[in-house]
Amino acid sequence: MEEVKCYMPQTLAEALQIRKDTGAQPLAGGSDLMVANSRGAGIVPGFKKPILIISNLPELKGIRQLEDGTVEIGALSTSWEIHTSPVTHPLLKDAASRMGAIALRNSATIGGNIGNASPKGDMPQPLILLDAEVVLQSVDGERRMKVDDFIIKTKVTAIRDDELITKVVIPPQKFTHIFFRKIGMRRSNAISKLTLSAAANIQDGVVVDFRASSGAAGPKVERSREVESLLIGHKVAELPDLKGAFLDAWCSDVIAPHAMPEYRRNATRRMLEYFIDSLVAGHPEGRVE
Amino acid sequence: MPATKIGDKVIRVDAIEKARGEATYVCDMTLPDMQYAYMVRSTVPRGTIDAIHLPEMPEGYYFISAKDIPAQGKNELWMIMKDWRCFAEDYVLYVGETIGLVVGPDRATLKDLRDQIKIDYTEQTPAVTIDDGINCVGGPMFPEKNSNVMCELFCEKGRPMEEVFAEADEIFEETLTTPYQEHAHLETNSAIATMEDGKFVFYASAQCPFYIRKSIAGLLDIPYEDIIIRQCTTGGAFGGKEHFPDVLCGALLIAENKIRKPIKMVFDREEDTQFSVKRHPSKCVYKTAVKNGEIIGTEGHIYYNCGAYLSSSFVVLQRGVFHANGVYTIPNTYLKGEGIGTNTFPTCAFRGFGAPQTLFCFETHLTHLAHHLGVDPLEFKMRYLAKKGDETTTNGHIIEDVKLPEMIDVITKESDYWNKIKEYKPGCGRGIGVALYNHGGAFTGNGEQAIIKAHARLTKTGDKVEIFVGSTEMGQGFRTSLRKICAATLGISIDNIEYKNPDTSKVVDSGPTAASRSTMIVGRLVERAALEMKERWNEGDFTTEVEYEHPEGYPWDQATFRGDAYLGYGWGAVIVEVEVDKLTNEVKTLGVWSSHEIGKAIDELIVHGQINGGIMQSLGYGSMEKLENKKGYFKQKSMSDYVIPTSMDFPKQFYHIQENPYPWGPYGAKGMGELVFNGASAAYVDAVERALNCEFTSIPIPVEDIEEALKNV
Repeated sequence: MEEVKCYMPQTLAEALQIRKDTGAQPLAGGSDLMVANSRGAGIVPGFKKPILIISNLPELKGIRQLEDGTVEIGALSTSWEIHTSPVTHPLLKDAASRMGAIALRNSATIGGNIGNASPKGDMPQPLILLDAEVVLQSVDGERRMKVDDFIIKTKVTAIRDDELITKVVIPPQKFTHIFFRKIGMRRSNAISKLTLSAAANIQDGVVVDFRASSGAAGPKVERSREVESLLIGHKVAELPDLKGAFLDAWCSDVIAPHAMPEYRRNATRRMLEYFIDSLVAGHPEGRVE
Repeated sequence: MPATKIGDKVIRVDAIEKARGEATYVCDMTLPDMQYAYMVRSTVPRGTIDAIHLPEMPEGYYFISAKDIPAQGKNELWMIMKDWRCFAEDYVLYVGETIGLVVGPDRATLKDLRDQIKIDYTEQTPAVTIDDGINCVGGPMFPEKNSNVMCELFCEKGRPMEEVFAEADEIFEETLTTPYQEHAHLETNSAIATMEDGKFVFYASAQCPFYIRKSIAGLLDIPYEDIIIRQCTTGGAFGGKEHFPDVLCGALLIAENKIRKPIKMVFDREEDTQFSVKRHPSKCVYKTAVKNGEIIGTEGHIYYNCGAYLSSSFVVLQRGVFHANGVYTIPNTYLKGEGIGTNTFPTCAFRGFGAPQTLFCFETHLTHLAHHLGVDPLEFKMRYLAKKGDETTTNGHIIEDVKLPEMIDVITKESDYWNKIKEYKPGCGRGIGVALYNHGGAFTGNGEQAIIKAHARLTKTGDKVEIFVGSTEMGQGFRTSLRKICAATLGISIDNIEYKNPDTSKVVDSGPTAASRSTMIVGRLVERAALEMKERWNEGDFTTEVEYEHPEGYPWDQATFRGDAYLGYGWGAVIVEVEVDKLTNEVKTLGVWSSHEIGKAIDELIVHGQINGGIMQSLGYGSMEKLENKKGYFKQKSMSDYVIPTSMDFPKQFYHIQENPYPWGPYGAKGMGELVFNGASAAYVDAVERALNCEFTSIPIPVEDIEEALKNV
């Protein structure tokens, strides 16, 4: 009978030491790793490395809002906790609430969803729009980086073999309008076919901030500050003239869908155009449906 | 206990044990000294096997292959023909073809051993699609015929088509296609082989225990009676466990003959998705002749992708051809069907058994023709509804009253169809669509008499009665329906009737659990046996047994496919309303209204469940269930990339059951399990077409395919 070496530390310090000593693979909810390493019913999963079960670490739990509005989300927070927390951003709630089925949402964690680095992963897409940072800890200290920089490409991140993702930090946000869509293969319990978040901050008729991020439309979640800047600082009244260049750039250069490219480019374009048109039409503050 | 009446709503007899997880499936069974088996399968779609390199097999581990079939046995499974090899040797015809089994006590070790087996192939160019098959890509699969055509038939009625076409104002021609579909039964394929008193005993997740026995006995050249099949609680089948269990049990029989220990084989979900039978993809080319705005004739060329072996394909194709003019009477018709061999996993039975493909294609074709002529599709179709006494495409007659006009009336009122078609302008984002359909009950023509000769037996012990038939419960509710028919006929409680999962050594052969025949045919047999038992009730403990009798006066010639193909059809009408998000092409189904004429509902709760499930499965087939075969390999491999609908995808349905008692069914009941699958996909596509003012000639239509269709608007 094959066996898998498992560690089950009770504190972060203990976990980091094991991680450094053995390079064991962290496992939280297991909703990606148990599937990826399954060898079939009745057989121990085929893990290549020892497993570090981190689900007991108190330091990685909980969602907190700091005084300045920053939200810290422990890496072990589940999709359900994120969806139901009073302090998480609506775009992140949307993404968390559409992940898999209820049983999965009760076990899948934000740390795992980022660490898995799938372009179809639900939470990285709004996190990247929100300029979220990931906090990485090792026995040698702490590193922080933008989620956008942490996820390098499909299944590849900047994590080191001695690090754990401990939390996700979302800076305070000011948006007057937000938009979120996930197109799955069916209405629920589905992997994304295409996702889009967009957000704008309109003050006195001027676009103070404009952001978008596209999931499942290329090898990683796509966002372009350069393209966003085509709209930022301009008057809302100028958007009809500016949107063409923005949409062209976003849909032909920023996103790079491999499969069903026409649909992904066209639908992304229609959604972004609809969001921009809603701003021009003076849509009341809040969510653009 | 009060006597059960047919009109009672009863709790399904298997509901509680299944809801509690107490029912025992094959994978739950562990026999002493249990061994496990995994299939070693072809990894190329077409080629020769040049060498098989085995790792060193530890003691107690075996590689079983065609070489283990004894000299007197034949390497063939007997379905309709005997072309399906139990183990491929020398050459392979499709990805997933069984080459051998690895058998032994530890599953992890077995998978390691399987991974180490190296097979050298010389690959050849495969034929994958219907067009590949028609064009004999890679060389003909049947060199003696210089073609890939496995089976074919035609039927014609009225005048020659050349004459009809010459007279027409126009000929409306279309090519429509339908895709593979995966059964996605909750329980994967599984079986256990063991020995008892010198006989081979199988526990199987299966629809047709007697089929298995017949199919595999020739492998060892032993009498049927030396093989005992015990059906286990079966977690869904949909046709996927009609013939396919033969493939598992045949291989296990050869292993059991050598190893003589209990051997269990349970497919993982990914194996079941990639390496089991599927619904036949189809291509239908219709040419409809129109004169003065009316249809005067239709020619249909129908092609089904059969995969590499015939399995049940010829019968599936026949049913496809017999349903290829839908519920309509058209004066002149010519319908030709060809089953095309390809280097893909064999296709086999799937709820509807060939009828859903042609019904979808013809229904959609008529919808397009109606649009072309500027008439509402429903109004157009209602001109051609078949009536009692009309000649069918097989030169037989419609024997029963057709209640479609009444049924259409019910659902158009409930859905407000006639107002909505005025309100929803083409392309407005909302649409309402309709489909009409039928399904011939039981085996075609006189097949029940000529091929099956079903039996049923009842045994009375005190005040208890046990039913002995080979028919199976697979989730459809038959165990409840049959006990209810028996109880109501005897005038006793359903709780006093026993009906166990069949064991071929104990029950009589009531024929396969297929073809929507169980209630209609086996239910009738049990009703007759119960009537006889009721008359003799006071004689003490005794047994009654009856055999199927075909009604006189309904001729059928199986050689020419002429005559009364079906004595009783189920009839259906469904309306679907949708709203399409014009940003993303996502379709939201707002309403589903159906009416089905099934003779008589033996149990309304079960019938309601079948309607809900059948329509959902059909909507999945039309909307989202995409199964593509690229170069011989299925692209979708698991339940996360092959998606079926969840309860979130479609709304609560309105349903109506139209009574029309059938003289030869129990209490007037006809078949209904397949009927309910046959129409909703066409109604869904019709609704989306109207919402977006576009046309589809293939299904499914997920968002990306809608994008394609919108290009042509």
